[in-house]
Amino acid sequence: MVGTRTAPRYAGTAVSGARIQHFASMVRDPNPSYWDPDFARSAWGGLVAPPALLIGLLMPPPWVPNGQAPTASIAVRVPLPGTAIINASNDAEYVLPVLEGDMLSVVEEVASVSQEKKTRVGTGHFIETLETYYRADGAVVATCTNSLFRFTPAGDR
Amino acid sequence: MTWDEVTVQVQLPEVVDQISYERVVMNAGTTWDYVPWHFNPEYAKEHGHPTIFVNTMHLAGFIDRVATDFGGPYSRVVRRKVSLLGSIYAGDSMVARGRVAGKRVDTSGDVPRYLVDLELGIFNQRDELCCPAEVTIELPNVP
Repeated sequence: MVGTRTAPRYAGTAVSGARIQHFASMVRDPNPSYWDPDFARSAWGGLVAPPALLIGLLMPPPWVPNGQAPTASIAVRVPLPGTAIINASNDAEYVLPVLEGDMLSVVEEVASVSQEKKTRVGTGHFIETLETYYRADGAVVATCTNSLFRFTPAGDR
Repeated sequence: MTWDEVTVQVQLPEVVDQISYERVVMNAGTTWDYVPWHFNPEYAKEHGHPTIFVNTMHLAGFIDRVATDFGGPYSRVVRRKVSLLGSIYAGDSMVARGRVAGKRVDTSGDVPRYLVDLELGIFNQRDELCCPAEVTIELPNVP
């Protein structure tokens, strides 16, 4: 699967002020770009989605009415052993602000898969993915390189 | 704050955040990240962790909060690199420390970008480095 680019995966709904402010509340970030519509409109064109929330905005909900499991990140679809995942690193560039009302999609690519590694949490593989996030008008809003460790925890062996 | 006003090497104020169980569960809910590390203490304990812990988005959001608190409301995070060396668990303190590592003008695009590079670290209450980070913010500049 290394080098394979996925079809675009779309967020089910537009970016909402509710999700923006729920996340900002969780982080306790008083930045008016997240809270003050008048300020945000004059400074950025609308309420801004916290950059750190971007991956979450493309997370599928854990249950959907048709009963089909929503498509997850390609990193967890790579056919490898391992019952658990944990993030190792993330390097993101935020090209444009994401605003309330934006419809987002992401295209992912598996950049590399490591040899099997033994770590303190278990044995598994590091999966590096490249992600490109788009707005509905085709503009790239962010790019991201993520390294995720897919492993079998020591207690599960 | 404007780019001109930034002094390289200046230390950022230390920021301490207490991470309760509510915050960790809220973390899973806000990010839709329902990996069991982030909401199920029994699962976490069965796999060698003392309890549930926050995810990468929470750490990144805390880092961005510190960065834009420094840069002001007209600053914007344009790049962030984080490495996950350790976890911040429910009941821990999350402590951010950092400094201004550099400032530069990026002229590669149509419009110059006035950038400030920050080096940050997130530590726990035992002063263990859990998440080193490099963050670049864009600031307005007075011509």
